[in-house]
Amino acid sequence: MGLKKYRGIERKQARWGFIFVVPSMLFFSLFSFYPIINAIYTSFFDKRALSKAPPKFLGLGNYIRLFDPARAANSLSFYNSLRATLVFTLGTFIPLLILSLMIAVFISNLSSNRTKKFLQISYYCPAILSSVVAATIWMIIFDPRGLGNQWINALLGTPGVDQGWLVDPVMEQVSTMVIYFWKYIGYFVILFITGLASIPPTIYEAATIDGATKWQVFWRITLPLLKPTVVLVSVMAMLQCLKTFSTQYMLYSNGAPRAPINVITFNIYVTGIQQQYLGRASAMSVVLFIMMLLLTLLQFKTTKSENVDY
Amino acid sequence: MQIERKITLPKIGMSLVLLAMLFFTLMPIVFMISASFMTSRQILRMPFSWIPEGFAWENFAKAIQGNDQTYIFVRNISNSLIVSTTVAVTTVLIASLTGYGLAKFRFRGRTTIFMMIMATMMIPFEAIMIPLYMVIMVLRIQNTYVGLILPFLVSAFGVFQMKQYLTTFPTEFIDAARVDGMGEFGIYLRIVLPNCKPVIATLAILSFRSQWDNLLWPLLVSQSDKMKTIPQYISNFALERSTDEGAMMAAALLASIPMFLLFMSLTKYFIGGSAVYESRKG
Repeated sequence: MGLKKYRGIERKQARWGFIFVVPSMLFFSLFSFYPIINAIYTSFFDKRALSKAPPKFLGLGNYIRLFDPARAANSLSFYNSLRATLVFTLGTFIPLLILSLMIAVFISNLSSNRTKKFLQISYYCPAILSSVVAATIWMIIFDPRGLGNQWINALLGTPGVDQGWLVDPVMEQVSTMVIYFWKYIGYFVILFITGLASIPPTIYEAATIDGATKWQVFWRITLPLLKPTVVLVSVMAMLQCLKTFSTQYMLYSNGAPRAPINVITFNIYVTGIQQQYLGRASAMSVVLFIMMLLLTLLQFKTTKSENVDY
Repeated sequence: MQIERKITLPKIGMSLVLLAMLFFTLMPIVFMISASFMTSRQILRMPFSWIPEGFAWENFAKAIQGNDQTYIFVRNISNSLIVSTTVAVTTVLIASLTGYGLAKFRFRGRTTIFMMIMATMMIPFEAIMIPLYMVIMVLRIQNTYVGLILPFLVSAFGVFQMKQYLTTFPTEFIDAARVDGMGEFGIYLRIVLPNCKPVIATLAILSFRSQWDNLLWPLLVSQSDKMKTIPQYISNFALERSTDEGAMMAAALLASIPMFLLFMSLTKYFIGGSAVYESRKG
């Protein structure tokens, strides 16, 4: 009898647990799972936003069109978007990773706690500004008469040269990378500082007693122990970079040429929302989704096998 | 541990790198503040002088009046505040409720549900915005707050964070409240919620900020000027006033003030909040 009553209480509690979870389940079904299934489904049709006629089934037509080699030469093709996204991602995440790790190590080597804190907060400041504001500030710096040219010319000793920050195809990509790097460097520095703080100081002490130099300590101890953080930060940075939109949108809408910075998200926006080719845009979305999915799975796989115990 | 205090070459190098980075991160912000008080002619003068000559207050007047003197800035920044605050509140409420349910109750399918929610973290918003846009069109909620808020009511990351935090919450408190005859929902409201203030603060800030910074979704949902948010305002303003750099910087500065105030008063939650991502690897 007593046991039965106890089971009753447990079942009643279990029901409450379920009730607490229901709102989230409804939300994620409606606003995550349904849309991604819908995106996959729509990507097989020639769906337009404004047409009343039922969309025509294309099979893999949209995907074949995206990857059609004949279109590769077109500067606004999906090929070019893949290239722009790849260049942007690599060009942003590699400097981000290396410099944020370097700076985090430098900061943790400082002796004054106040300086440490001051630097962390200062580096983090750009992350508070919205991407749109960040792009606006840098657009003025990159003006032909702006600070960007003045300083680069002072540095290179080439007075009066316009680097074409927002006009030249290569420089335009560099500009988007600089803006993005600027906004996120502080954030990644803090991630690394947290990772560094989790390494017990006794390990460093032991190494120092054994006569290891700082340089050796970094390569032989800090970096291997920091590997999980490095993997995590690189994947996070890459996922972030793949999703970039606001910077490119701002530069384009203020007159910069579209082709060099036509990243996938921007292409989805233009194709799906402005040109109303929903099917084609959905196919692009699915490709983006698969790219990010593979990256995330890679991260899970590497972090699982590389877990360090102290 | 103060064995070596002497100044060495590597130390100078390290300080130089840190100083250069300090200059790089802060220079554009100082530039924005300084330029917001200058006329365009001063901003683009070569060489640039950092100290404004007199204060061009009309920049701020222009920024608030907007391109056509409609003062739509006020409406747009209010829209951003409304949307961001609502999203912060709903995210905290729903995520804590779900996190509590997953952390402290045993029911069939619990692990599956948790895994499903975690799986949605792999679905980027950018990949589902087209279907969501179609939903918004079918429901006819373009240009409404509901349309702006609906896809962001709660985040998988928030659920994860809440669950992690509440797993370590002492079950004895909950059991004691049950013995005292408190209802399950009452326990959540009066015992659990008041005891996760730090994680609530972090989550609220992250959600608020992500909406404050959101440009893509409002671009899809809000076509009428009245329902636009502050990133859209800045973007339009920069486009139509492209030769008035002073006013652009004034608008950018005004749009950043709420986040700066939040950052100054709650710095530790900002910095701590980004560190929480660390725990994802656990």
